Amino acid sequence: MLHNLNLEPLVVPPGARDSRFMSAVIETRDLTKTYGTVRALDGLSLSIPRGGVYGVLGPNGAGKSTLFRILLGLIRPTQGEAIVMGGAVRIGGGGDVSSSRRMGSMIETPRFPPYMTARQVLVWLSTAHGLRSDPARVDAWLERVGLTEAADRRVRGFSVGMLQRLGVAIALITEPELVILDEPTSGMDPPGIQEMRTLIRSLADRDGITVVLASHQLLEVQRVCDRVAIMNRGKLVREGLVSDLIATGTRLRLSAGPIDKVLAVLAVLGDKGVQEGDAVLVTIPRPEAPALFRALIEQGIDIDEARWIGADLESVFMTETGSIQIPEAIQ
Amino acid sequence: MSITLLADSVLSEAYRLTRNRMAVFWSVLFVPALFVIGGITYHLITKGKTQGMAAVAGIPLTMGQQPVNLGEALNQGAGMGANGAILVFMLIGAATLYAGDYRWETFRLISARNSRVNLILGKVVVLKLLALAAMIAFLIASFIETVSQALVFARPLTFEFDGGDAGRFVLQWLLSWVRIVQYAMLALLTATLTRSLLAALFVPFVVGFAQSLLGGPGLAILGWEPQGWAAQLLLPGLAFETLKAAIAPAVPGPAQPDGLLIKSLISLTLWSLVPLAGALAWFNRQDLSKE
Repeated sequence: MLHNLNLEPLVVPPGARDSRFMSAVIETRDLTKTYGTVRALDGLSLSIPRGGVYGVLGPNGAGKSTLFRILLGLIRPTQGEAIVMGGAVRIGGGGDVSSSRRMGSMIETPRFPPYMTARQVLVWLSTAHGLRSDPARVDAWLERVGLTEAADRRVRGFSVGMLQRLGVAIALITEPELVILDEPTSGMDPPGIQEMRTLIRSLADRDGITVVLASHQLLEVQRVCDRVAIMNRGKLVREGLVSDLIATGTRLRLSAGPIDKVLAVLAVLGDKGVQEGDAVLVTIPRPEAPALFRALIEQGIDIDEARWIGADLESVFMTETGSIQIPEAIQ
Repeated sequence: MSITLLADSVLSEAYRLTRNRMAVFWSVLFVPALFVIGGITYHLITKGKTQGMAAVAGIPLTMGQQPVNLGEALNQGAGMGANGAILVFMLIGAATLYAGDYRWETFRLISARNSRVNLILGKVVVLKLLALAAMIAFLIASFIETVSQALVFARPLTFEFDGGDAGRFVLQWLLSWVRIVQYAMLALLTATLTRSLLAALFVPFVVGFAQSLLGGPGLAILGWEPQGWAAQLLLPGLAFETLKAAIAPAVPGPAQPDGLLIKSLISLTLWSLVPLAGALAWFNRQDLSKE
């Protein structure tokens, strides 16, 4: 199924690779968080540049949400330091009004008091952030996230997608310089995902907001992000421009038989092959391919065809994390 | 602590709570409404029965000649501002206010900017305002009930309210306010410890009920002196009643023993501050991402 994915060209905004990435908006140094014996973050040192859309990827348990929660001051790190927009994050807020207004966030699917309307939620949180009630500002953000018609409906009747949109509006109500979004398209239907992608891209390109997001939807990340960090087991395993990562992450499509034997050889070699029809997709660096061919031939396997196929973020992700991501289309 | 940030916390909590019509109705309006309806019903039934008995006995009714003093109604309203029904129903507002952010997982939305101390203090200030609203509503209800009494029994209305009455009114009002806020502190502590709205509602109710039992028949069973340290310190309701009796004694009686009022004041202060301090200490180290 992987080859059926229609990958659109990565949209890289003009200037995304230049001066906007010069200064870091988030920096973590040796960040560690343990829950009992589990190390959710393991000495993570990461520098997220100002400007553009930055994706944080990783399988479940990689530490993405823990990282975001530390950045937002919701939990304390066990060790290390997190610096957001030049200031060290302190749990419970630091009373730094200016810095807090410069950052917005949405962690997982947000929930709200069900008796409030979308408009009331925005007014409430504007007040909590020290903004005077400004109907025009509230209306503008409701429109931006596509909730104008539902503005005066109670949120108890909202779908997950609508809650996500409202969560994004809340993250943006203070017109911040930095927005952290955890799974912003979770629970959305395809048109909703597309609208959210357009919105996120416009935040970076039109409004100049730095967007940091985590998502399991690698295709979406590939389409919307300029740079990504791939995390696994609390550690940073890869970081860079999406275009650069893709260039290094090609896959080999092997038509060889018997397939069971091919998969067995790959398993012995520590690789994970994915069977696709009468072929096997192998994610390996290009220089290691000849050695793989020799090993297969030595095991008496007939290779009918070996072909490098287009890479995407998913293949890079699989290589770096050793996990298999099942495409959304067949989930 | 920045006053601006605390003000933002108070304003946002007040805005949110006033959008919750059910919580406001049950904690502010329900008891006064019940008091008015119950009072008018009682007066009508009493009048009917009294007239019936007077007719049977052939005795003329003389009650109509006695005036109804609205000034006294004000003092009664202030004194009853922290009655059991108000305390219990105020728990609905307190639980909503103190545990709502756990229930709806909204602490993460408001905790990034403001300090945790401000978040809690903002809620406490709004609870104080809510208690004030409930007391004003009850005072109005008390006023209406008194007027209805005069109308039902065709008695004249007067308003006698001198300086002494005004002083008693202010002191009773303040005392009732302190008692409501003190009782609601149990909801704050419970909400913070358990992250549960239901626990914030029922734990203070059970504790208050147990304390009222101990303050009644329990005192004799335990062998506690009502004016002793143990009873005063462990039973804030008893301490409240002691102070209330000192301000406006129901019946003139012997002077209270030395030091009793101090014990009562210490009791109410401790029962207010210790839960608040406990909640603040716990909340400050709480992982708010696990709501």
